[in-house]
Amino acid sequence: MIGRVLASLVIVGLLALDLVLPRLGIARMGRDPVARADVAGAVPRVGEAMPDFTIPDLDGVPVTLSALRGHRVLLTFERSVDW
Amino acid sequence: MTRTTAYRVLCSILGAAWLAVGASLFGMFLAYHAPGGRHEGLFSTMGPQGHYLAAFAGCALLVWGLMLLAAAHRPLEGRSVGTATAFGLVLCAGYRMIAWVVGDYAALADVLRMESAVFLALALGFVWLRPQRPGPAEAA
Repeated sequence: MIGRVLASLVIVGLLALDLVLPRLGIARMGRDPVARADVAGAVPRVGEAMPDFTIPDLDGVPVTLSALRGHRVLLTFERSVDW
Repeated sequence: MTRTTAYRVLCSILGAAWLAVGASLFGMFLAYHAPGGRHEGLFSTMGPQGHYLAAFAGCALLVWGLMLLAAAHRPLEGRSVGTATAFGLVLCAGYRMIAWVVGDYAALADVLRMESAVFLALALGFVWLRPQRPGPAEAA
């Protein structure tokens, strides 16, 4: 009988944890709104200026966005074939 | 409905469900590797490794389901199946809660928490409906 009661306490405790999970604020991306809020300030909207950044090109040479001012810039991200 | 009858019903329903899910997972592996099979559909992105693990889970679920059906047939002899099943359901609920927190399964959203709650409720059922060990007089 004691075993059943102890097991039940553990299960009910987990059930309570399951119910309050959304209120604990520990979810990183458990819900879409949380995920969207995480990146909302990091993504420029259409029509806004792109924040300046520096990334290596295919030859490993650093390229800064502001150095390309006045030119059309196409930025693509592709998975390398040697992953 | 007596406690034993309810235990049998619970074992039967979950056993049948696990058999169905287990057979589906195993079938998914076979379909993925069938000659001329097309790697399309919802689970195709799992790749060979994912399908290998799915087949392993399918085998385990088939055995778990058969044990539950055996426990439904002979509930007194199958008491320990109820205990193991309750433990397994708690584990299933636990990893779903972790998956919800981690967030790599965001597409499933609160389905993970709902499944977790269902599994915990079922575990409670197995804990309380499991037949008592027969007393000395009954055993004799």
